[in-house]
Parts: sequence; C-alpha cells; structure tokens
Amino acid sequence: MTKPTAKEIKAMADVTGVPVDAVIAGHIAHSMGPAFEGFAQVAGTLPFDLEPASFRLVQAAKVFK
Amino acid sequence: MSTEPALMSLTAVAKAIAGKTVSSREVTKSCLDRIAQWQPSLNAFMAIEADAALAAADAADAALAKGKVSGALHGVPLAHKDMYYDAGHVVTCGSKIRRDFVATTTATALQRLKDAGTVRLGTLQMVEFAYGPTGHNPHYGPVHNPWAVDRITGGSSSGSGSAVAARLTFAALGSDTGGSIRLPAHFCGVTGLKTTVGRVSRAGAMPLSQSLDTVGPLAQSAEDCALLLGLMAGADPADPTAIAGPLPDYMAATRQSIKGLTIGVPTAFYVDDLDPDVARILDETLAVLKREGATIVQVELPEQRQLTAACQFVLTTEAAAFHRRWMIERAGDYGAQVLMRLRNGLAVSGVSYLEAMRWRGPALAAHNAAVAGVDAMIMPVAPVAAPTIAESDVGNSPDAEAVIQRLTRFTRPINYLGLPSLSIPTGFTKDGLPVGMQLVGRSFDEAMILRIGAAFQRATDFHDRVPKPA
Repeated sequence: MTKPTAKEIKAMADVTGVPVDAVIAGHIAHSMGPAFEGFAQVAGTLPFDLEPASFRLVQAAKVFK
Repeated sequence: MSTEPALMSLTAVAKAIAGKTVSSREVTKSCLDRIAQWQPSLNAFMAIEADAALAAADAADAALAKGKVSGALHGVPLAHKDMYYDAGHVVTCGSKIRRDFVATTTATALQRLKDAGTVRLGTLQMVEFAYGPTGHNPHYGPVHNPWAVDRITGGSSSGSGSAVAARLTFAALGSDTGGSIRLPAHFCGVTGLKTTVGRVSRAGAMPLSQSLDTVGPLAQSAEDCALLLGLMAGADPADPTAIAGPLPDYMAATRQSIKGLTIGVPTAFYVDDLDPDVARILDETLAVLKREGATIVQVELPEQRQLTAACQFVLTTEAAAFHRRWMIERAGDYGAQVLMRLRNGLAVSGVSYLEAMRWRGPALAAHNAAVAGVDAMIMPVAPVAAPTIAESDVGNSPDAEAVIQRLTRFTRPINYLGLPSLSIPTGFTKDGLPVGMQLVGRSFDEAMILRIGAAFQRATDFHDRVPKPA
C-alpha cells in the first residue's frame, strides 16, 4: 500500500466535491501518511470469502477464560 | 454524609433523596452554588439553567412527598455533553454551525435517564463536533482542568470531565469514538466508562463515526457508572445496532470481590515511552489489584499499530461523510483544526475504508485469542498526565495530527475493536495531576471491568479526592 501524494489527494478531493488547494492537500498527505504506513501490512491481504460483517459475529461469540 | 450535598456520589445522593434525608432542591442548590463558584475558571458548562433546575427539583420534591417516585434517580440533578438531543432545547454540539439548533427528538440514553427522574442542570461544553482529544474549542473557549486550570481536560467530553471532577454534577454523559470519555476521565481524575459498540443506543446522539461511536457516563466511581449503565443499556427500536437480550446486574457486579480473577498487562505498546509518573502509577495499581486477590499476568497484544491505522481510516472517512455537506457549504464556520481533521478523510479511498472495516472481525478474533487467559486487561489511558492548554494548542498546524495521535495512542485500538473500557483514577503525579488506568474487557462484558474498578476503588481513595478552587 502506498501513501497518496498531495497531488493524488487533491484529485480525490475534487472528485468528492470538497476541493482543497495544493497546500491543504500537502497537509492531508502529511497527516494521513502514518495511517497508510500502519495499515500497509493488512492492505491487500484479506481473504476473498471473509464475511464483511464478521465483526458482529466475533463480538457475539462467547470467549472463555 | 458530607455537609455539602454536591460532594456526595451519585449512588449516595439518589438514596438520600429517595430516603428524604435531603431534598432535590437542597442538592440542586448545592450543585448550582458550586457551578457559580467554579464556572468562571473552568468554562465547563455550555448552558446553566438555574431557575428551571430549581423548579424541576421542587416538582420532584412535591412528587416524592405524595409518594410518587419517577425512578432510581428521582430528583438527582445532572448535566450532559451538549450533543445529546433533548427535544425543545438548543444542542450546539460544541459548534458554530449548530449554535441555534433546536432538537425535535430526545436521545434514547438521555430519555432513559430522564425517565429515571433526573433534573436538568444545563449542558456541558465539548470539543467541536466531538472531534478532538484535548478540550480546546475555538468557538466557546477551552475547558479547564480543575486540578490545575492551566491544564487541558482532555476531550472531546471536556465539560463532562471537568464538571464531574469539580463536583458540579454527580455524573455526565460523554461519548467515546477515539478516547473521548477515557481521556477526560484520566486527565481530570474521574471514572469514565466507554461501552461496547452496541451496548447503549446512539439514537439522538450527535454522530461522528457510525462504526465507532459509543455512549457512556463519567462519574465519581465505578458504582455510579454501573448505576447509569443499567438504566441506559439495552435494545432500542430507534437504533438497530443496540443489541437485545438480558442485561447483567451491573450494581451487583460492583459488590463482588476480585479474588481469583486474572488481569493482563500488555508486554509492549501500552507500556512503551511512558512518563515516569505514569509508569510508577501503573506499577502501584498492579500492586493494589494483587493485594485484592487478582493474579497479574503479562499478555502480548497483536498488531496495535495496524489497529490504530485502521481506526484512523474508519474514523476520518465516516466523519468526512457525515460532514460533507457542511464542508462544502459552511467550511468557514468550522474551527481550523476540526476542518483540517475532517478533510483528512478525503485521502482514504472507498476500497481502503472497506478493507479497514472488513479487517475488524479478524482483528477482534486475534485480540480475543490473545486475552483468552485473562478476565480483563489493564493499561494506561495515555502516556502522560494533562499537558498545558498552551502547549497542546496546535490548531491546524501540519504536525497537529501527530500531537493528536500521541494523546490517543492507547485509546484508538480499543475503539476499533469496539471493546468496553473503564478509566479509573489510580494516582497523582508529583505535581498533583491525576492519572488514570483503563480496564479493558471482552465485548459486552462491562460487568467485569466495573467489578474490578469498584474493587480497586474500595481499596483506594483516588476517586474520592476533590480539587480545591484556585
């Protein structure tokens, strides 16, 4: 997973309809960079058949000590 | 009993009013006197409704005289974070955008407390749209910490933490999406309960992130939080994410011993780079729990950095989606920091957001496997005690997000996993600032962390200490 650049973020913001200038796009890239680095080990690794609502299933499962 | 009714605990004052040893008017007047004394230095209240509160207290006393009791909190005055809709009242959400917004519905959690007989004192300050961990607010000013008024309260439930600590209200609703109950509880020296996602209805509570938002109380003690949770929890037709099923007896849980329980302490991440006072207080807390009969074991929790990142993806994206219309139409009415943080959500693609959501199940399963041998975990809420308001006033500087991430480092993984967590006061720094630890339980097992928290509070008096006006 690669961090989006300021230029890419500017394009995404334009598409979303919430345009930002290049300076703000740079701030966003700087702020969100660590999150993209942190999630890199997970991104693109999830199995195809993983139930999207599995969180609720795991929440409801009894966990024994 | 203290001669000043406002200094009583929620549980004690509810009993005293029901037993007619003190009237609702006396209690409400006592709170209003303290509010008048403290508000100029704390800025904890958004609105103070003294006349209406006294009238409601008189009505509660009159009803009680006729044998009519509304519920477990009959005549108890409370104030809550100004994001809970209360029909007919202004709910600012700490913002300029909603400065004049009058709610047409009442939040389910708030309604359940009203049904129990509470008296409305007013509303409490908060971070703009609950999106910030420090307690700064560019529209209404920062809230101050009663233990040292140049220090932050933590956020976003800043007024709730400050007001409960100064004994201006017996308890207050907060909300916790990334740490917003636990951080003010830690910095202000009160008890705060972040509930499991799905435990308490969020209907009528201002949304920030539909996957992470939780409703919970700040109060003096675990026992007080248990009383409030028992009143608020459970299914709600207005919020399909609130789960049905029988509720545990939370008050009974707080009376149980912790002898024989096993409590885990993380081997890494939550114990790294701690301020020396926080590290000392963690050790002292573990020693108390051992003396009370618990066994302490070390537990390796997996993938904390990834959990933090996933939480940020989910929170920023959902917050940006909620606020998209105002970001287009009213960008100038946001504070600079909140607007900057809302814009951060524009960087996350739909695919990345959904990946972060899909990983939530496997991540919780991995956490459950890691904690299979313990009843609960204990860890610091934050690596430091309250910083000063000046040093944490980072506005929308390029490094603001890094400052925010450092403060919320120990809270966000718990939000992503949706787990319950109880922040309890566990000591003071050498400078006299409170420090809290969070007990983290299994999904929907608030009873266990309330039990451990109450046992700790029977053995210590940190939760009973009251700050003095400067």
